[in-house]
Amino acid sequence: MAQAITLSSALNDLSTARTRGYRDSNEIVRKGLFVLEQKNGLQQLGDNVWDFLEQLAIAALDIGQLDLADDCIHRLDEQFPKSMRVEKLRGMRIEAQDLGLALQFYEQALEKDEANVDLWKRLISVLRQQNKIERCIAELDSFLDTFYSDIEGWLELADIYASQNLYTRSQQALSHVLLLAPQNPFHALRFAETAYSANDVPLALRYFLRTIELTTDDESGASSVGVARRAWFGVRLCTKHLLSNPGAVSESNTPPMKKENLESLDILAAERLTAAYSSTQAKTSVPGRTEVLKWLSS
Amino acid sequence: MAGDSLYLDPQIRDWVLFPITLVMILVGVLRHNIVQLIASSPKKLSRAATREQRALLRAQILRSTAKSSPIPPSYYDSHTDELTAAFKAGNYLSKPVELDQDGKPIAPNPTSMLTDPAAMEGMMGGMKNQAVMMIPQMIIMGWINFFFQGFVLIKLPFPLTLGFKSMMQRGIETPDMDVRWVSSLSWFFLNWFGLNGLYRVLLGNDNSAVNQQDLASSPFAGAAAPAMGQPQDYNKLFTAESENLQLAQGVYHWVGEDIDTRILRRYGKLAA
Repeated sequence: MAQAITLSSALNDLSTARTRGYRDSNEIVRKGLFVLEQKNGLQQLGDNVWDFLEQLAIAALDIGQLDLADDCIHRLDEQFPKSMRVEKLRGMRIEAQDLGLALQFYEQALEKDEANVDLWKRLISVLRQQNKIERCIAELDSFLDTFYSDIEGWLELADIYASQNLYTRSQQALSHVLLLAPQNPFHALRFAETAYSANDVPLALRYFLRTIELTTDDESGASSVGVARRAWFGVRLCTKHLLSNPGAVSESNTPPMKKENLESLDILAAERLTAAYSSTQAKTSVPGRTEVLKWLSS
Repeated sequence: MAGDSLYLDPQIRDWVLFPITLVMILVGVLRHNIVQLIASSPKKLSRAATREQRALLRAQILRSTAKSSPIPPSYYDSHTDELTAAFKAGNYLSKPVELDQDGKPIAPNPTSMLTDPAAMEGMMGGMKNQAVMMIPQMIIMGWINFFFQGFVLIKLPFPLTLGFKSMMQRGIETPDMDVRWVSSLSWFFLNWFGLNGLYRVLLGNDNSAVNQQDLASSPFAGAAAPAMGQPQDYNKLFTAESENLQLAQGVYHWVGEDIDTRILRRYGKLAA
């Protein structure tokens, strides 16, 4: 950014990043250093100063500025000597250099407070980084059995299973995510795509449609955007597959749709996608546009 | 009116009305700080205990979404079966159920909480808070009663009916004084109940100077509420929940059931 940052704008951006959980570590470190350099920067933060230091420490670790992270953690440690949150930061500092040591550190810390969510999650994440998938899944299972409502945890489990090509298991984990956040179209889309990968096309089609239902994509909008457009691609893939193989198997015993509905959906999806790729802007700038249109008219 | 002829010495305002108010505010702030000092840090739960506490939530989430469930039938049924079996087998209990000679589970003894040190600690915490709440109020009340008994402190700017006489003129036994005059002891009570808003501004929303707590709860009333850490019979709760789950299975309806017609209608491809 060319424009100069002011103290108030920096503080404002940092606090937004804190509440929304952005991971824009370069920016956070740049603005955080700016705040630290100001004479009254830390005083302006008031009680938020500790949250700010935690944020800065994590961002600094993220981009490898270990000195800065050390400084932040040291300050926090002086203020909160017994805090488990600082303990976690210290663990992350070790993680930045030695995963094996970090694993030991987390294991010891969990012995003191065995139901600590943050430390437990870090432990699981270290296991995954070390590629100890089996133990990682075991820990994550027992974590989710205790803290069922942790959506991040379920998504991680689904991701791990998907990375091992265990799509049915991944779907199972995602079904918990759907229960916990039924309103989120991204989760529905992910479930649909996982079902498609697991070759359960009838189920995938229903969840692609569900994704569209959850978005604000409707007739009045000229073309579908974002998650809805991706879901329309999925719908089209599924309808084509189902129309050519009427007896497609469904592991989840999902009932097949009526043939005329499938045909209408096929046409509808093609319409929506063609509209999306026919705007004047798309005509000039979208790579692969002709291929998409060819596929749509097939 | 007789009341209008009453003339209050401005010294009463300066040396009685303001001091009482100020002292009550300061005591509230002090109390907030003392409660924070003596508050014991929340006890760390073991994994098993946390798991036990949160298992019900799991069933409730599944159950409450049943009417338009986001997950397909095969998944719903397997979740239900798994949870029901786990509840019935007591997999989520942190301590195994004790059985009596007939093989029936023994309900935990309610008086056992009086001997259980963990429960005692929770109750002591409540009593400590209680003491910090009550003692200063009693001292202030004694102070007002001793020095300012029978003082008339202030005249309300609006008229009141006679029914308010006992509230506004506590400590002054006159049958025919205007109800608008407030006695010292009544001023104390008005402050006691009325300063909550001010504390909220001064100390934030979850401050411990607000009196509601000491009105609403004796230490035992607090201990009776499940949140206060009274041992719950989770086994009973789990059995009930497994029945609820089976009931919910009856109203289950998959949201993806007729999704094709819904979408086609939304885009005008199907007559509504």
